[in-house]
Amino acid sequence: MLEVRNVNNHYADLHVLKQVSLTVKQGEIVALFGPNGHGKSTLLKTICGLHPATSGSILFNGQEITQIPSHKIVEMGIAYIPEERHLFGDMTVFENLNLGAYNTRAHKSLKQNLEFVFETFPRLAERKNQRCSTMSGGESRMVAVARGLMSEPSLLLVDEPSIGLSPSMRSTVFQSLEKINREKGITILIVEQEIRDALKLSSRIYMIKKGGILFERPAASLDVSEIEKAYF
Amino acid sequence: MESFVNAIVSGLISGSLYAAMALGLTIIYGISRVFNFGHGVVALMGAYTAWLFVQEAKTAGLPLLAGMVISCAVLFGFGMLVYQFAMKPLMKKANWEISTVLFMLGMGILMENVILQLFGPRVKSIPVFAEGYLKVGMVQINWHELIVIGIVLAAIILLNLFFKVTRTGQSMQAVAQSVSGAKVVGIDIERIFGLTFGLAFAVTGFSGILLGTKYFMNPHIGWEWMVKGFVIVCFGGLGSTNGAIYAAIILGVVEALATLYFGAMWVWPIWFAIFLVVLLVRPQGILGGRA
Repeated sequence: MLEVRNVNNHYADLHVLKQVSLTVKQGEIVALFGPNGHGKSTLLKTICGLHPATSGSILFNGQEITQIPSHKIVEMGIAYIPEERHLFGDMTVFENLNLGAYNTRAHKSLKQNLEFVFETFPRLAERKNQRCSTMSGGESRMVAVARGLMSEPSLLLVDEPSIGLSPSMRSTVFQSLEKINREKGITILIVEQEIRDALKLSSRIYMIKKGGILFERPAASLDVSEIEKAYF
Repeated sequence: MESFVNAIVSGLISGSLYAAMALGLTIIYGISRVFNFGHGVVALMGAYTAWLFVQEAKTAGLPLLAGMVISCAVLFGFGMLVYQFAMKPLMKKANWEISTVLFMLGMGILMENVILQLFGPRVKSIPVFAEGYLKVGMVQINWHELIVIGIVLAAIILLNLFFKVTRTGQSMQAVAQSVSGAKVVGIDIERIFGLTFGLAFAVTGFSGILLGTKYFMNPHIGWEWMVKGFVIVCFGGLGSTNGAIYAAIILGVVEALATLYFGAMWVWPIWFAIFLVVLLVRPQGILGGRA
């Protein structure tokens, strides 16, 4: 479904991604591990077109998307859920979700998607008229994921969904990701620091270090200590 | 008492004109974060375009309302062109804030001189909607000014509806609140910026026409209009449309009362004194507050 081939990317003079290659198959949940500042988030931003690659190629369902602008990539079915959330703070939950379905494809099935999102995150249904800037960290994270789902993606790129959340909120978020994958068949590529939770969730993992892929393994063959070792 | 009441009424009238004028400035800033230093001249372009169709094109014999519509359409196109050929490349640069300000300033000076060449230096005024006045008790108000207030109110309501209800309006609000968020949900930012410049220029031109019906205009008056617009949007909170409207009405009434009690030459000092106090106490303006 997603094929990243020898991708390089830079921030000004800084070489952030070095010859990164990675594949994600239809229906999988793949986790991306690695120390902070080693290129995980940049890779997600590169895939969704927010920070286009300087070289290499990215294929989505066989189609070249490397230099396609981000709004067209959303339309093609990739949703990116940023760690910083980037919600529309002065708007209500409902207005945020409504804008999530901005692309014409998703706009047609807005009603069904809204139902699914409210079923997955009942708390958002209760608070649909609340302004996003007044919500807690966990709730805003839910809005961010829900807004991403509203674009009716077939591939979800999730950047550190658990960061800054309480343990109970964390498991709620992970459970919802699992449900999204199971019930909607949405493929997920997730960047996460909570190794234990992410290992349970995913089928394969990639380890990124210093901007390059260190190794790729099935999740079942790994334990936490092995990954933690790779961090240092 | 009678002069006080009439001063308040006249303040509300100029306040609503100032509100219309500040809207275009605050729309551009709120959505694209570009501060339009050519704002006053854009308003003047609207006024002269309308004047051309209403006054000069006698053969066409257009009523003022039709002239306004044509003028707004012309300014909309001009705004889109300015974005497409100047703002779009400039906004990609690292120092885009100062580059865009300088470009807008330069464009203002250029267009001021184009207007001077085309229309000459003599003062002009746009004919009013209707003659005569209405007298209710001690309040006396021109029919024309009543119509102007009605048009401004209608424009404000329509703009609010546009931002609330239409998809394009909603995505403009989304861009205003978070450019990254807008990109994430798949909004084509450049398209929205282009439409924003078109809309804001049209609204600015529209306000220029109304100003041209109340005051005389010459090719240089745009800068004075612009300074008034700047004070209003800073007072109301940069990028806040409602703030700009309240600020415009407050300053309009202050202007009328200052003229009544101290004389017209005191208007600017009093405006700026209030403005500076507001900036000291509440630097984000009365309704600003968004990060």
